[in-house]
Amino acid sequence: MTEPAASRSLSDYDPKPFFCELTGRTGSEAAEQERIRKRLDGMDTATLMRRAREAENELFNLGITFTVYTDKDAIDRILPFDVIPRILTAREWRHIETGVTQRVKALNLFLWDIYHDQKILKDGLIPPELVLGNGNYRPEMIGLDPPCGTYIHINGTDIVRNREGAFQVLEDNGRAPSGVSYVVENRHLMQRAFPDLMRGLKVRPVSDYGEQLVRKLSEVAPAGIDDPSIVLLSPGVYNSAYFEHIFLAREMGVPLVEGRDLIVENDKVFMRTISGLQAVHVIYRRINDDFLDPEAFNKESMLGVAGLMRAARKGNLTLANAIGTGVADDKAVYAYVPKLIRYYLSEDPILENVETHICGTKEGLAFTLAHLAELVIKPVGESGGYGIVVGPKASQIELDACRRQIEADPANFISQPMIDLSVCPTLVDGQVEPRHVDLRPYAVTGQSTWVLPGGLSRVALKRGSLIVNSSQGGGTKDTWVLEEAAS
Amino acid sequence: MSLLSRYAEDLFWLARYIERASNLARIIEMHMAYDRGRDEDVSWAWLVALHSDQERFAKSYGDASFANVIRFYVADLGNSGSVRFSLRAARENARALRAVIPTEMWNHLNEFYNRFLIVTDSDLEPIRLWRTCGQIKDGCYAQIGVAESTLYRDEGWRFFRLGLMFERADQTSRLLDVKFAQLATGMEATAQAADATFWSLVLRSAAAYQAFLRLEHKGGDPNRVARFLLVNASHPRSVAYSVMQIQAMLHDLGSGYGHRQARFAQEKVEVLFELLQSAAQEPDLVTRLHEINDNIQRSLIGLTDELGQRFFGAAPPDPTPPPDEAPSQTQSQSQSST
Repeated sequence: MTEPAASRSLSDYDPKPFFCELTGRTGSEAAEQERIRKRLDGMDTATLMRRAREAENELFNLGITFTVYTDKDAIDRILPFDVIPRILTAREWRHIETGVTQRVKALNLFLWDIYHDQKILKDGLIPPELVLGNGNYRPEMIGLDPPCGTYIHINGTDIVRNREGAFQVLEDNGRAPSGVSYVVENRHLMQRAFPDLMRGLKVRPVSDYGEQLVRKLSEVAPAGIDDPSIVLLSPGVYNSAYFEHIFLAREMGVPLVEGRDLIVENDKVFMRTISGLQAVHVIYRRINDDFLDPEAFNKESMLGVAGLMRAARKGNLTLANAIGTGVADDKAVYAYVPKLIRYYLSEDPILENVETHICGTKEGLAFTLAHLAELVIKPVGESGGYGIVVGPKASQIELDACRRQIEADPANFISQPMIDLSVCPTLVDGQVEPRHVDLRPYAVTGQSTWVLPGGLSRVALKRGSLIVNSSQGGGTKDTWVLEEAAS
Repeated sequence: MSLLSRYAEDLFWLARYIERASNLARIIEMHMAYDRGRDEDVSWAWLVALHSDQERFAKSYGDASFANVIRFYVADLGNSGSVRFSLRAARENARALRAVIPTEMWNHLNEFYNRFLIVTDSDLEPIRLWRTCGQIKDGCYAQIGVAESTLYRDEGWRFFRLGLMFERADQTSRLLDVKFAQLATGMEATAQAADATFWSLVLRSAAAYQAFLRLEHKGGDPNRVARFLLVNASHPRSVAYSVMQIQAMLHDLGSGYGHRQARFAQEKVEVLFELLQSAAQEPDLVTRLHEINDNIQRSLIGLTDELGQRFFGAAPPDPTPPPDEAPSQTQSQSQSST
């Protein structure tokens, strides 16, 4: 039976020339995606819009928001949520999961090495100044042995998919990657808003993230502590990611503390409770290195706790993530990660990098300047999508300004070819249109690594835009990892 | 794992601010709904006097007209005693507690607050005001109900109950002082018949009118009304009931959870309780209400400081004696997130 054309949400949808996350697969996987596509197509756009509106109201009232503070009041904003899910097949997920696990393992070995023997520098695989001269390299960490050799306990890997459908890593986030709360809350929202779309589908659950996190952080407790006291350290209610901190503490079942709740005495960390001081062994901290410990780093910090670094050095405290991981997720060091994987693991990288030119090298600089209009230029030290110039979409004036900046400080830039990011049907202004997406899976590492099935799918809501960051008008989608089809 | 001191304090103040908003809303609601026949333009200065806010009020408004007083107490964020300020403070405390309170509590408060944010000037006009205040009051009741239904019964629950009962004792005690506040602001002494109306209004403002009638069929003898609100053991808003609940919570913390420092507050509560018992013996209680209210207010301030020192980790406060007339206490600056 055919339905009236007016009721089909995908009737005008055309993803060409990009890879589509809902319709792009061929072979045996095509049948799986077709089932979901049909269901979605069977819904009319008005229904989608109504449910989308309800979902956004719900996010607001549930306080799943980031907060912008003005002089007078606190303004809560929601991160735009698109109701059309992004799908990953079991095969695709296996590939990403093993690739991410491999990558995190190599990064942890790299961090151990550069804070101990620095063999990789002596072997000449990576320019020493790129590591030792990096602003995020922390000499205070030299010789410190974090439990299980784990520095990056929580990692977010930004992955994109090119026109051919191949996954590529765009960036590693090994400091304090955010966004995982949206993964779980988006799922809860979808389960309420679209039970008909999910019915009968085997989608991998995401709601045990907090439990897994506690398990993994318990594995890396200081030596001799069997039942560690774990806390989450937040800068407090004024931080724009405060919702995520609440979410994590709640899901982990641990206290959400601020700097003023903690104190270091005799190189041990305690929190202030109504029964007096109680020991703390593991801190999942969402405060940057610089502000974490005014005794060791930024003296002006009001957010941190004096003495945390001392406690960590004495082996009385595990910080997750460890201090000084920023050197491993640097955009220039990123270019060397495939080499790191071969060097430390003697394996080929499972996930490819995007081809990257380091302007700090002679060849990289020459290539970048010669092909400026075809490349994406990124400042090394920025995050959040700031300062990125997309050559093919930039005006001559923008390109000239970019060239001058690169020439003035080559080491601060890298360039990459423009990736035609894959697209996903997205509800925009009452129409379903293709919009570019990326993916950030979250890997949690104690003794070993566990990867949350799926991750955060970010979507660039502006037509044609390739920048998915929320600060640049991006939204999020629920990510469905389908279970292995019964054979 | 023991309760973070900051959580204890935030739970205490969350409940206090909710209870404060609900009391204020109910007083206004009842006066709008039942106090017919007064000239609206002259009769609201007493509310300012009742909260010892004369100075602060005069600074921003001057004339104690109906519209001004209502704005000051319902919508003015600059007034730390307003409904709006209280609800915002309650929400900020809840925000700091979100990792530990049930999501149901936060969701309800957040929705309630978001609804309150769209209150407009027309909602404060005489014709709509009682409904607006009724909705605020109901929202507060519901929040306390959600807490009752979902909040885990550990020490945190005790601090939530302590905050609730502190504020309730405070507010009911103040309510008994309305007469004094009215006379002090130049309202004329009322005739016998009008006096009965007045005391029934006081009862309604404490949600105690019906319960009182069941007990006292003959109606409102002022001394009996005052005694009921002061020492009745069964009405959930009487001062004595609130103080008994405070006692029970402190007992739980001290004996049940082994926080021996609770005994300092317990001793002070004993003194307060004796004060209530002896007040109940006064043959002409009504004439003593202003003095009794002062003593209760002083005692509650001392108790709050005691909790601050023994549980919330605050530095000992300055040993200055509390003022004769106490405006509503607010959360200390160091801890307040507003």
